[in-house]
Amino acid sequence: MQSESARAASAAEARFRIDAPNSQPRSIKVIALDHPSEAIVKRLATSVWGNTSFLTTLASAPPRDAPFSMRGWLADLAGHTKILVDEIEHADLVVMIATAGENIESASIIGEACSLKRVMTTGLVVTAPSVPGAELSRSLAQLRPWALMLVVASAEDYIADMLMALRA
Amino acid sequence: MLKKEQSDLLTLTGPGTAGGRLFRCYWLPALLSSELPENDCPPVRVKLLSERLLAFRDSEGRLGLIDEFCAHRGVSLWFGRNEEGGLRCPYHGWKYDRTGQCIEVPSEPVESGFCNKIKLKSYPLVERGGVLWTYMGPADKQPPLPEWEFAQVPPEQSFMSKRIQESNWLQAMEGGIDSSHVSFLHRGDLNSDPLFRGAKANQYNLKDSRPVFEVVESPGGLFIGARRNAESGNYYWRITQWVMPSFTMIPPRGDHPVHGHFWIPIDDDNCWTWSFDYHPTRALSPGEVAAMRDGKGIHVKYEPGTFRPLANKDNDYLIDRAAQKAGRTFSGVEGIAMQDASLQESMGPIVDRTKENLVSTDNGIIMARHRLLRSVKALMDKDQAPPGVDSVHQLVRSAAVILPPDKPFIEAAKDALVVRAGTAHASV
Repeated sequence: MQSESARAASAAEARFRIDAPNSQPRSIKVIALDHPSEAIVKRLATSVWGNTSFLTTLASAPPRDAPFSMRGWLADLAGHTKILVDEIEHADLVVMIATAGENIESASIIGEACSLKRVMTTGLVVTAPSVPGAELSRSLAQLRPWALMLVVASAEDYIADMLMALRA
Repeated sequence: MLKKEQSDLLTLTGPGTAGGRLFRCYWLPALLSSELPENDCPPVRVKLLSERLLAFRDSEGRLGLIDEFCAHRGVSLWFGRNEEGGLRCPYHGWKYDRTGQCIEVPSEPVESGFCNKIKLKSYPLVERGGVLWTYMGPADKQPPLPEWEFAQVPPEQSFMSKRIQESNWLQAMEGGIDSSHVSFLHRGDLNSDPLFRGAKANQYNLKDSRPVFEVVESPGGLFIGARRNAESGNYYWRITQWVMPSFTMIPPRGDHPVHGHFWIPIDDDNCWTWSFDYHPTRALSPGEVAAMRDGKGIHVKYEPGTFRPLANKDNDYLIDRAAQKAGRTFSGVEGIAMQDASLQESMGPIVDRTKENLVSTDNGIIMARHRLLRSVKALMDKDQAPPGVDSVHQLVRSAAVILPPDKPFIEAAKDALVVRAGTAHASV
């Protein structure tokens, strides 16, 4: 008699797998940490995505001499300021996009907030082969404490593939 | 999640497919040398990339890999007589040399030269490191011979086994770069398996079951780094190598031999899992070899006379629910290799990737697919050779190292990630 495993793993039995959705849409926040990354994020945002928001940390950082606040660290791509904690509170995943060699000091603010709210973080550094290793290292060092998954990609097309793979 | 058409591009590897063309860019492990132990020994059936072939070693020790079937009436040459420089079909005596060239058709006058018009498809077959390798692509694109370190060390320093896996190659390979499953599926084996136990690094694994991952593109594929907390604020890094299309090298533990795999499509529903162990600077001990032969580490015990694992889907992988309940194994299946294979085969012959829900820690798998798809496209559109063909991409090592928190492994462990003759792997 055929074993349970042999029968169940057959191509014939695969026809009886339930064909119904097995997950709900995720909330993903994709955040650019520097100027080149903002351009990447703007290009990504032109595609059709599910429950995914595209944000930037530029033009929204509070003045250096202002008292610390979780307000004002994020903006949407139209430049409207967003409240960081509110944005990430219900997110399933925050993806921080950085470009090797750029200043990404806001990573710590985003990361701290995600840590506080127990939100999963992915850091993604886009780097060209011409970028010196020391610059990539600096970017990685800034992201490492705040990213539970860190990816170094040689081209921005990986980001779209990754978001699709994650059902963004 | 992967669209069906993308999944098809990678999982279908028969003649005329894009995925098949990708595999046909590389030297592929086809048989163990021990399967053709002597001149004029019995031929061996080989199925690769959905083609049925026959391997033999002729009277002068030359290796051949040819179409399995006689060009006359289509009988299998597996029944053939391997004698006097060729393989003779037992049906009507047609004879073929190692290149598939017909050299005798007894029913036709020799002077007619009829046999010169008959030639079976054949592929080169070369011996390196106890493995017979074949290249199934166009002759003018044949790459340099494989340079993997395990195949270059003296024979007493390496051990190779293979087993049939009853699933598509891609889901098997993806298991090899899915580092986050180790803390669950294999957790019982680190302190018990003779090829793992005793390493200091095992304590880091067992103390910190939530590693943080870094995935970095390498020239030939990917570095997949998993970091755990070590003493004094340092990190313990395990860096796995994946080289396209389907080679992985797992980070070492202590002074144990280093191991890894190739996954090679037999057809779309089955693949060969090749498993190597080697040590770059010393002979494997008799105890280590005995353990490997006994199916420990990443190897398996076999059904007698076959390369099919003794624990297989026909006997429910000898699942032991009591061992599962008692925590001796996490899934109830014994041995690292079959713990992986049982779950990968349970997905069905080709898993439906449109249904999966990948998460952030699956970025190694996502990046591997991305690189494979990108390479298939470049190959199909521009005839561009994929990564991993260049022998420099094969001269790599996995590593296990302790680094300060501000040091990226790709810089700090740079030297440890390439072959350095006469030195051992960086290991903890």
